[in-house]
Amino acid sequence: MVTKACTKCKRLMESERCAICNTSSSKNWSGFLIIIDPEKSGIAKELNIGIPGEYALRVR
Amino acid sequence: MIYAFRTLVGQEKNVARLLARNVKNSELEVNSILVPDTLRGYILVETSSKIDMQDPALKVPNLRGSVEGEISFEEIKGFLNPEPIIASVKKGSIVELISGPFKGEKAKVVRIDESKEEVVLELIEAAIPIPVTVKGDQIRLIQKEAD
Repeated sequence: MVTKACTKCKRLMESERCAICNTSSSKNWSGFLIIIDPEKSGIAKELNIGIPGEYALRVR
Repeated sequence: MIYAFRTLVGQEKNVARLLARNVKNSELEVNSILVPDTLRGYILVETSSKIDMQDPALKVPNLRGSVEGEISFEEIKGFLNPEPIIASVKKGSIVELISGPFKGEKAKVVRIDESKEEVVLELIEAAIPIPVTVKGDQIRLIQKEAD
């Protein structure tokens, strides 16, 4: 399966549509980020991420 | 606190995934793991406490140890919002092709398509200038302005 990224929240997934924001996903992404604890993570706060998981840094 | 870990080049994402799985079941307070594309062979790990490299959770294949010292949050901000390569390229810039059939050739930028992230180039050493369209990630900027 190809990993895709949501064009809105940048979350990585394998489905066509994002399960959280219901927008389409894109195969064209770069950068990789794993958020384990969004409450304590400064990176998650900077990027406004509230749900743990895998994210892309840039989605086209 | 942010630390840089050395990994085998090309295995950054795999190491990050394994590390994330290991730390969830351990006492280590890792908050996030960042793998910037521009930083080959390294991953950045954000923690709440000091990290001990002897911890069994950090025994991950292809992980080659850590870089001494901490990294400030300001330093990694640039990685969080990667700027497209095309943003720094202008019409008339001299670039080098880094992949594809014309790898290693130098070319002049003729046109930029920002929405598709493509550039139209003209090879400098070619006898007849033929426009070549390539993706923005296939070029490296050599000279910003044309003479």
